[in-house]
Amino acid sequence: MIILLMLIPLSLMLLAVAIGSFVWAVRKGQFDDMDTPAIDILSDDRPLEAKADFTLNGRDHG
Amino acid sequence: MADAWTLGTAGSFRPIDALIVDCAVDAISQVGVETCYHCGEALPASPVLLDVDGNIKGFCCEGCLAAAQWIRSSDLGDYYRLRSTAGARVDVELPDLAVWDRDDVLADHAFPVTGGLEITLLTDGMRCAACAWLIDRALQRVDGVLDVGANAVTGRIRIAWDPAGVALSSVLERLALLGYRPYLASGAMQEREKLAERRRWLLRLGIAGLGAMQTMMLSEALYLDFNHHMALYTRDFFRWVTFLVCTPVVFYSGWPFLLGAWREWRERHPGMDTLVAGSTLLAYLASAVETVRGGAHVWYDAAAMFVFLLLCARMLEQRARRIASSQVDALARARPALAVRERPDGTRESVPLTVLQIGDVACMAAGEAVPADGVLLDEQAMFEEALLTGESHPVAKAQGAQVFAGTVCRETPARIEITRVGSATRLSQLTRLVEQAQAHRPPLARVADRVGTWFVVALLIASVAVFIGWRIHEPSRAFEVTLSLLVISCPCALSLAVPAALAASHGALARLGVLSLRAEGLDSLARTTDVVFDKTGTLTRIDPSIGEIQTFGGVSADEAMAIAAALERDSGHPIAAAFASVLTLRTASGLKVHAGQGLSGMVGGMEWRLGRGPFAANQDDDGRLWFGDGSSAVARFSLEERVRADAGVAVDALRGLGLRIHLASGDAPGAVERLTRQLDIDDAHARQSSEDKLALVRKLQAEGRVVAMVGDGLNDAPVLAGADVSLAMGEGASLAQRAADMVLTAPSLLRIPAAVQLARRTQRIIRQNFAWAVGYNLLALPLAVMGQVTPSLAALGMALSSLMVTANALRLMRVSIPEATS
Repeated sequence: MIILLMLIPLSLMLLAVAIGSFVWAVRKGQFDDMDTPAIDILSDDRPLEAKADFTLNGRDHG
Repeated sequence: MADAWTLGTAGSFRPIDALIVDCAVDAISQVGVETCYHCGEALPASPVLLDVDGNIKGFCCEGCLAAAQWIRSSDLGDYYRLRSTAGARVDVELPDLAVWDRDDVLADHAFPVTGGLEITLLTDGMRCAACAWLIDRALQRVDGVLDVGANAVTGRIRIAWDPAGVALSSVLERLALLGYRPYLASGAMQEREKLAERRRWLLRLGIAGLGAMQTMMLSEALYLDFNHHMALYTRDFFRWVTFLVCTPVVFYSGWPFLLGAWREWRERHPGMDTLVAGSTLLAYLASAVETVRGGAHVWYDAAAMFVFLLLCARMLEQRARRIASSQVDALARARPALAVRERPDGTRESVPLTVLQIGDVACMAAGEAVPADGVLLDEQAMFEEALLTGESHPVAKAQGAQVFAGTVCRETPARIEITRVGSATRLSQLTRLVEQAQAHRPPLARVADRVGTWFVVALLIASVAVFIGWRIHEPSRAFEVTLSLLVISCPCALSLAVPAALAASHGALARLGVLSLRAEGLDSLARTTDVVFDKTGTLTRIDPSIGEIQTFGGVSADEAMAIAAALERDSGHPIAAAFASVLTLRTASGLKVHAGQGLSGMVGGMEWRLGRGPFAANQDDDGRLWFGDGSSAVARFSLEERVRADAGVAVDALRGLGLRIHLASGDAPGAVERLTRQLDIDDAHARQSSEDKLALVRKLQAEGRVVAMVGDGLNDAPVLAGADVSLAMGEGASLAQRAADMVLTAPSLLRIPAAVQLARRTQRIIRQNFAWAVGYNLLALPLAVMGQVTPSLAALGMALSSLMVTANALRLMRVSIPEATS
C-alpha cells in the first residue's frame, strides 16, 4: 500500500491544479456571459487582426 | 458577398448608392417584401430599396439602410443569419452623445483600467445573442477601444477604451448608428459589486464541487473497508487527507451559510441557515475530533456534499432571479439620467439629474422623458403620462400647467420651469406608495419560515436530550449516537425540498415568458382563488383601433380611411397605429403636425386635416377623431380599444382552473360592460381608482380568498403590491413591474393559466418532497435515537433521499409552452 503515499499526493496536486485553473477562469470573466459566446464560433472567415485575436483567446475557453 | 453591395468604404454611411424609388407601391408588390430588412417594421409609403445579394430588400428609413450597409461592408453580414429576432429601428437623427464625454459623467460611471477607462452601460434593442455579437465586433473595430463585452440577457455593454485615443461619444456613435441607444446604468459601483458577487459565488460553487468530489472519493475508501482490514496508519492517513480537502469546502464555500447562521443567531430567529451550518459544522468538527482521537468513524463526506448540493440549489435560484431583475432594470431605463438645462443667456447644457435645482429651466425634445416636476413655459405641448396614470393617449397641456417627471414629451419640444426635484416628485411619491404597500403584504409566506424555525429548535433540544439520555445509559456510545442522530436528521432532503423545486420551476417559468421576481409569488399563485384583471393594457391592447366610421358628404368610408391612413402613416402620431392595418395606395406630402390638434397634409392635390373636431372639421370637440378640410367634415372615426386576441381563451382557461375572474377598470361603465359581455366576466367594476381597486382586493382577502392581480399601469402599482400575488404586463410601466411578483415578458395572456398550472405542480412536488424527507426522517430518527443506525448508513440514506428529492424537482423543468394565437 506504499504506492498510496505517491498516488494520493498526486491526486491532491491535480486537485490544486484544477482549482487553480478554475479560479483563474472565473477571475478572467470566462463565466460572465454564458449566452453570447455560443454563437461566436459560428462565424470565422475573417482574417484575424491582433485585437480580434485577443477576444477569441478570451472566449474560446469559456 | 459584399460585392452585391455597391457602396464606398466602410466609413461612409450615406446611402448615396441606394436606390430610392418614389413609386413605392409598385416596387413593394414587385419585390414582395412588406417589412424592413433590418428592423422588421412595416414599410412606409416610400421605402428605401437596396440590392442585397441580388435580392431587392426594402428598408423603412435611411437609418436602417445605413446600419445594414455598414454591417454588410464590414463583413458582419452573418448577423442577419444568426439573429433570431429583428433588430431595432435606427433613428436617422442620432441622440446627442456629447454628454458622454463630460468629466462629471465619466467620473461617476467609469472606472480606470490598464490602458484607459471602463464603463458599463445599458442599451435597448439588444434582443438576441446575435445583437451582442454584432455590438462586440462592431465596437472592437473602433480604434482606441480596448475591450468590449455585450450581454444580451442583461442588456448591458461593457466598454474599455483609451480616452487619449478615442472619445467615448464616437464609440457610442457607432453603437447608435446600428440602432442601439446607450443609457447610463444605475451606478457603476453597484454594477461592479454585482459582478464581483457573482464571481465569488461561482468560485464557492466550483471549489465545493471539486472538494466534495475528492472528499467523497477518499471517504468511499474508508466506507468500503467493511471488515477493518485497513492498517490503522493508512486509515489515519486517509482521514487527514480528507480533513485537508474538506476544510476549504466547509469554511470557504460554506461561508454564506455560516454567516447566515450567525445572523440568525444574533436575531434570535433560528432558520434554515442555522440547521445547515449546524449540521455541517457538527459533522466536520466531530470528524476532526474522531480523526485526532482515532475514533471509529468520520463524516467529512456528509459535510462537503451537503455544502455543495445546497450551493447548487442556491445558485440556480439566484441565476433565475438575476436574469429576471436585470431585465426589469433594463425596462426601467425610461427615466433619463441627464437633463438639458437652459442657461440664463439662452444657451443649453446637458447636466446630470442630481444637479437640477428648483427654478432651473429644462428643455425636452419630442420623445424625451421629463426629468423633474415643473410648470410648462411653452404655449402648448403634449405629454404622454402613461407611466403615471395608465392613460396611453398624450395629454395636451397649456402654458402654466403642471408637468410630471417620468412623463414623455410628445410631438413638439417643450421647456419647463422646475418646481420639484428628486424625492419630492410625483414619481418618487408613487414609488414610495408602492413600497409602503409592499410592507403590508399578507404574512402567509412567513408561516413556512416559522415551521422551519420550530423544527430546528426541536431538533437541537432533542439531540441534547438524547445525548444526556445516552450519557446516563451508556456513556461510551453517547457521542456516536448523538452524531448519528444529527447526521440522519441532517435536513439535507428537507432543506433541498423547497429550493430545488423552486429553482426548477423558476427556470421553467422563465421559458414560459414569466419572470418571477419574488420567491414567495409562486407559492401564492398556486393557492390563488380569484384573479382581478385591469382592463386597459391588460385585457385590451394599448394602441387603439378604428371602430365606427361616419361619413358626411361625398366621400366613401373606404376612401376616407385610405386618405386618413396616408396622412397618419409617416406622422409618428400615437394614433397612427390604429391606421397601420389599412392598406393605402395614396401618398401624403407636406405633412404638418399641429400639437394637441392633429395633423394636416396634401393627398391627391387637396389639403386634408385629421384630428380634433374644431381643428379638422370646424365641429365641436367630442373626443372622436374628425377628418375634413378644416371647414367642413368628411368623416368621423371613433377609436376603440382592441381586445387582446388571446384574452377570451386565457379567461376561459383560468375559469377552467377553478378561479373566479374579476375586472376592475378605471374606464367608463359602457366600455367595461362591452368587454365583460365579450369575455363573459361576471364581476366587473368600472371607474375604479387605485384606492378602489385596492379596496376590492382587500375585501376579497377579508373573505378568505387568495387574490392574484394582473395589471400594467403605474396606477395599478399599489394594487399589485397589495394583492397576494401580482403579475405585470411586460409592455407596462416599469414601476408597476417593480411592484409585481411576476412580469409577463411574452405578449400572451395564455401564459397566466400556464403559470398557475406550473405553480400548482410546483406546490405538489414540494409537498411530495416534504413528505418524502419528513417520512425518511421520522422513520430513521427513532432508530438513530435507539442507537440502531451507524453514522455511515445514515449518511448513505441521507444522500439517497437528497437525490430523490432533486430528481423529483427536476421533473418541473419539463413544461409545454402554450401557443400564442395573436
